[in-house]
Amino acid sequence: MKKIIAVIRNEKVEETKSNLAKIGVTGATFLHVTGKGMRDGMIPSQFLGSEHRPYTGRHPLKRRDDIPVSVDPVCLLAEKEREPGFRPQRMLVIVANNSDVRPIIATLIATNYTGHHGDGAIFVCPMISAVRVRNGEQGDSALV
Amino acid sequence: MKMIWAIIRPEYSQKVIDALEKTGISAMTRLNVTGHGTEMGITAGMVNYSEIPKEMLMLVLPDIDVARAVRIISTMAKTWQKENPGLGAIGDGKIFVTYVEDAYTIRTAENRRERTGSSGKNR
Repeated sequence: MKKIIAVIRNEKVEETKSNLAKIGVTGATFLHVTGKGMRDGMIPSQFLGSEHRPYTGRHPLKRRDDIPVSVDPVCLLAEKEREPGFRPQRMLVIVANNSDVRPIIATLIATNYTGHHGDGAIFVCPMISAVRVRNGEQGDSALV
Repeated sequence: MKMIWAIIRPEYSQKVIDALEKTGISAMTRLNVTGHGTEMGITAGMVNYSEIPKEMLMLVLPDIDVARAVRIISTMAKTWQKENPGLGAIGDGKIFVTYVEDAYTIRTAENRRERTGSSGKNR
């Protein structure tokens, strides 16, 4: 039994739900969280289609080298908005049998992939047991 | 590879995050949670407050960084008491560390465990 914790974009939640239902995963827990990644360069989804660079903590027009820079919409966000680096995301928790883990991860990656910073991450943790509260079932049968 | 769940006081979270960032640990997820410890919350007169707001930080780190991160969180999240410095106060929170078997970055679809070479199965 494994616990899959995925941090994904808010906009992808509905798509993820329907795609998970297609492979037979109907139980999932969603949490509202804020998160940030390795290099503070998360791209908010409203800028996904536009020209952008990840926010690097430096003023866009004050670069040390002489390469001309197009102004990054992320850098034009209000100081207050971008300063903490944390952006709202959704955390998805699924407990699944060992054999279901690979298809679930493949679905999550295929659904949430945009190729930009801020797409999120998936973690797989070991889980010892599960109990269904309604009737006290234990182990794998509690997941079905 | 390990996962750290740290429950800390919301007013100290920014201090903890800044200290972690200074040592290069910047990827984390923040959750607002409520809860109480073995003291069953705060009792003021007749009223018992058992759902005290806390902040939860989730970090996934290679094994080598875990001890450092735990040390930073536990020092920065501690309440400073004048009479017994270094002891902290009730309600400062807890840090839990669990195993992570696999970690994937969705943007690159790569398995982070293979990249760092951490076995993840060291029990």
